[in-house]
Amino acid sequence: MIKITPEELKLITGYIHDISGIHLDASKKYLLETRLSAIAEEHGCTSYQELYQKAKRDARKVIEKQIIDAISTNETLFFRDNGPFELLRHKILPELIDARTPKSPRLKTPIRIWSAAASTGQEVYSIAIVLKELLGNDLSRFNIKLLGTDISDAAIRQASMGKYNKFEIERGLARDKLNKYFTLSGGYWKIKDEIRVMATFRKLNLMLPFGALGKFDIVFCRNVAIYFTLEDRKKLFNKIADVLEPDGYLIIGSTESLTGICPRFVPKRHLRSIYYQLK
Amino acid sequence: MSMSILVADDDPVIRRLFEKRLQDAGYTVQVAEDGMQAGSILAASHFDVVITDLVMPGDIGGIELLQIAKDKDPLTEVIVVTAHSSIDTAVSAMKKGAADYLEKPVNFDELFLRLEKINELRSLIRNADDLRNAMDVTESTAAQTIGDLELLVSDLQLKLDRVEEILKRREGNCEERIAESLSIIHE
Repeated sequence: MIKITPEELKLITGYIHDISGIHLDASKKYLLETRLSAIAEEHGCTSYQELYQKAKRDARKVIEKQIIDAISTNETLFFRDNGPFELLRHKILPELIDARTPKSPRLKTPIRIWSAAASTGQEVYSIAIVLKELLGNDLSRFNIKLLGTDISDAAIRQASMGKYNKFEIERGLARDKLNKYFTLSGGYWKIKDEIRVMATFRKLNLMLPFGALGKFDIVFCRNVAIYFTLEDRKKLFNKIADVLEPDGYLIIGSTESLTGICPRFVPKRHLRSIYYQLK
Repeated sequence: MSMSILVADDDPVIRRLFEKRLQDAGYTVQVAEDGMQAGSILAASHFDVVITDLVMPGDIGGIELLQIAKDKDPLTEVIVVTAHSSIDTAVSAMKKGAADYLEKPVNFDELFLRLEKINELRSLIRNADDLRNAMDVTESTAAQTIGDLELLVSDLQLKLDRVEEILKRREGNCEERIAESLSIIHE
């Protein structure tokens, strides 16, 4: 494993912040070495300084993508922390449907949901399953846009395929849901087409402007801002406030807080879960 | 952590050999003389590993037993034993979720190596699972505290905003405004 010097540590953490917004401090030295050493060797580099130079010169951004894939955390589960999905099913979706159903029965009810740090897709598919179970046969009366974005190409690729191994699938997902919404093929569990077609995935760096995504009724932004600096967090939630409908809903990670981050949001409680709406 | 192993083979000599060698190595072993019997043993008790011959008399062969074992518990690992001539079937068994295959005649050193690998993997999974569970407990406790604080702070902020508005107001006398502010604070 190639050792990282203090100067390189500064250089590389600065570079990672520039390309992804992820803030790593000096305590993450070991993490950087274990995750980046193989990439450096693969590109024939003997130091991180050299890897940095090569990454900067690489017009196709192959190395940059590899570094992001290696550094980003993809710890995610189906129905991870059940609270938000119960909230979606019993509170948010019923309220939204009331508010959005057009007077004319010929028009469809629009529902736009964004999972801002979709990782390998578990959250998006969990949302899709809730939609399917709640709306069932009426699904055709809705115009659903369910978008998942992530900074990691590798994560988005896997999300898009909807393919999971037994370790990724077994926790969080009840047996009946597994059998109902996934098919086993070649040792992998694959999400069924009826659920897959409900979602779209694309790569997105949350540090860059994202107003072009349009407006959303519900935004999930869970456990990603924790990797950002306070300043970047403020910018992020301010931009999310801009893309959220005035009566829209924001759900953040259960141990995250918006206090001192974005005064445009007010927290609200439903049973044990907290969600946010614009003031 | 000692693993429990179920061996299914219709050849009594091989069955006996498996039983003896595995027991000597410290594993808990049960044997079945065909797929049918193995299936009913599996239904009644849990095994960490199933070692099965691919070809057995009756309706339940190795592939079927693999499926029964995986349906009961996806974490049960299955090793299929096969003649050299049916390697293709062994490969298709692995595609269906078998952990490994062994060629006949079984080399026990090889088998013990595979079992050790399975055991290592199991302890890693167990370890990751323990960590996740510990994280879940920490996370849900923290979530409760943070949620309460978040609502409390937001509520206080609202009060503060109202008090500020009252105190900034030009009209009305000072005492009334102070009394009004205090009542908001004490709400």
